[in-house]
Amino acid sequence: MTATMTSRERVLAALAGEPVDQTPVINPTSVATVELMDLVDAPFPDANREPELMARLAATGHTELGFDAVMPVFSIIQESASMGAKMQWEQKDNWPTVKMTQPIYSRPEDINIDVDKVLSQPDAVCVPEAIKLLRKDLGEDVAIIGKSMGPWSQAYHTFGVEPFLLMSLDSEEKTRDILNRLKNLTIEYANQQFAAGADAVTLPDHATGDLVSGEYYHRYLEEMHQEFAERCNGPIILHICGRTVDRMPYIANTGMAAFHFDSKNTPQESMEAVGDGIRLVGNINNPTTLFSQGPEEVKAEVFANLDAGVQMVGPECACPLQTPIENLRAIPEAVAEWTAKHKH
Amino acid sequence: MAELSDITNEFIRDEIEEFVERENEKEQMIGLYVGVSDDLLKIAEALIEGEDELVDELTKAALDAGTPALTVMDDGLIAGMALVGIKFRENFIFVPEVLSCARAMKAGMAHIEPILSDAGVEPVAKVVMGTVKGDLHDIGKNLCIMMLRGAGFEVVDLGVDVSPDDFIDAVENEHPAVMGMSALLTTTMPNMGKTIDAFVDADLRDDIKIMVGGAPVTPEFAEDMGADGYGKDAMSAVSLAKQLAGAAASA
Repeated sequence: MTATMTSRERVLAALAGEPVDQTPVINPTSVATVELMDLVDAPFPDANREPELMARLAATGHTELGFDAVMPVFSIIQESASMGAKMQWEQKDNWPTVKMTQPIYSRPEDINIDVDKVLSQPDAVCVPEAIKLLRKDLGEDVAIIGKSMGPWSQAYHTFGVEPFLLMSLDSEEKTRDILNRLKNLTIEYANQQFAAGADAVTLPDHATGDLVSGEYYHRYLEEMHQEFAERCNGPIILHICGRTVDRMPYIANTGMAAFHFDSKNTPQESMEAVGDGIRLVGNINNPTTLFSQGPEEVKAEVFANLDAGVQMVGPECACPLQTPIENLRAIPEAVAEWTAKHKH
Repeated sequence: MAELSDITNEFIRDEIEEFVERENEKEQMIGLYVGVSDDLLKIAEALIEGEDELVDELTKAALDAGTPALTVMDDGLIAGMALVGIKFRENFIFVPEVLSCARAMKAGMAHIEPILSDAGVEPVAKVVMGTVKGDLHDIGKNLCIMMLRGAGFEVVDLGVDVSPDDFIDAVENEHPAVMGMSALLTTTMPNMGKTIDAFVDADLRDDIKIMVGGAPVTPEFAEDMGADGYGKDAMSAVSLAKQLAGAAASA
C-alpha cells in the first residue's frame, strides 16, 4: 500500500482522532541513543544544551529511524536546570539528572517563579530554538513534538521525591499550593514551543502507579490537566510511566489529545480503560525488548498494539541510550508490514 | 490454632481481614498479633495509620511501664510494618502512605535503639545499600531500606551515585552480611555488574552476598552479572535479605 499522507499529516490526524493511511510512529519522550549521537556527532550532555546539536540529534528520529515525528527534548531537565536546580550533567552514555537529594525548595512559598526569566535561561531557550531549526531543516512534512514538564514532576525535582510525597499526604492545601505555583511554567513553556513550530507537546507528569494511587491523580491532577488542555495552544500528549490503568479513565476526561502509556499496561486493557476519551501512544517495552532483545520481538509488540487499536506506536518511555538502531527501525517496519497485511 | 478473632484489637483484625489475602500470610499475621498486649497493639495500629506523634507517645509509655524494648519493637513496630509491607505490595497503599508509616516507625525506634544498643542486642543482620554510580534516584532504595529496618535489619545507607570503590570500602568497614544495589536507569544498570566485577578483582566477592533491584532490572540480568539475588520490590528485598543473611551466617 502506498502512503497517502505525509508523516506530519498522519501524526496530526491521529492526535485529532481522524482517519490515517497508516498508524504513525512517534516518540513522545526520546529515541536518542549513543549510536545516533556518534552518527551525527551530537553527543550528550551538549546535545541537551545546544540548539544546533539538539536539532541534529533529534532529526535522526526521522532521517535514520523512519519515525513520523521528531522529539528534541531527550531528558526531563530543561526547566529544572533553568529554575536553578542542582544538576549532574553526566557524559555521552548517561542522561543528565536533577540532584533531587539537594532540593531547592522546602515550602510552597519558596516558589516564586518569574516565568519569563526562567524561560529565557539557556537550557530552556535551546528547545524552542531547536524546534525552529528542525522545522527549517525537515520542512513541513515531519511532525515536531516538544516537551513541557508538568507540576507534579517539577515538584519531585524541586522539593525531592520523598518530601513532596509526604507533603501530599500531610497537607492537601500545601500540595495544591505547590502545583498552582508551578503550573504556569508548564503552560507557558508548552506555548513557547508551539509558537516555535511544535505540532504537539508532551507533558510528562509522573503521578505513576509505582508511587501514588489513581485516586491521587483524580484528586490532585485531573482538573489541572483539563486546564492544560484548554490553555495550551495545541495538542498535548500526557506521559506517565508505570502502571496507570487505574487512572486512565480520569486521564481520558482531561481533553488532552493523547496519553503515552507504559508496557506495564497491556494495549488491550488500556484501550478499554480510556474508551473514546483519548488517543493512546505506546507501548514498546524498553529494558527487556528494545534494549535486550531483537527486531522480531519488537515487531511482535508493535503488532499487539496495532491489533488492539492503539492509535500511535512508539517506545514506552525514553529509550535506553544503548538501544540498537535496528530495534528502533523495526517499529516503523512493523507498522508497514501490518498495514500491508490489513489494509488491502 | 489461633484465630483472627483471638486478636484483641479490632482495627488490626479488620486490617488483616481486608488486606491480607494469602492464606499463609494471614496465618503469619495472626501469629504475630495473637497474645500481644493491648498497649503494643495500639502502637502497631498507630504505625499502620502513620501517626508518628502517637507512636512516639505510646512507645515511650510502653517502655516507661516496663515492657522490654525488644518486645515493644517486635510486637508493636515490626508487626505493624509487616502489615504495611503487605498492603503496599498489593497496591492497597502507595508510597506516600508507606513514607508516613516509616516516619512513625522511626519515631518509635528513636526510643528503642539506644536501649537495645546499650544492652548489646544484635539486629537481624546488617545490610549496606546504595544506588549505583551515575544514578541519582533513591526512592526505590529508600523503600527497601524502610522495609528492611521495619523487619529488624540494621541498614547502612550509602546514598546515590555510589562508586564501586565506595561499595567496597563500605563492605570492608561495616562488615555487613548483605549488600544491596539499586538502579532506576537502563544506562546505570550495567554499573551493578561493574561493581560486582570490582569485588571479584579485589578478591572480596566471596565475602559478601549481593542483592540487586530497580525498575529496569530483571532476574535474568541479575543472574548474568553475578548477583546472589534479585528483589522485585521492597517486600521481596526483605525476604531475600533474610535468605542471603542466613546463607552468609551458615557459610
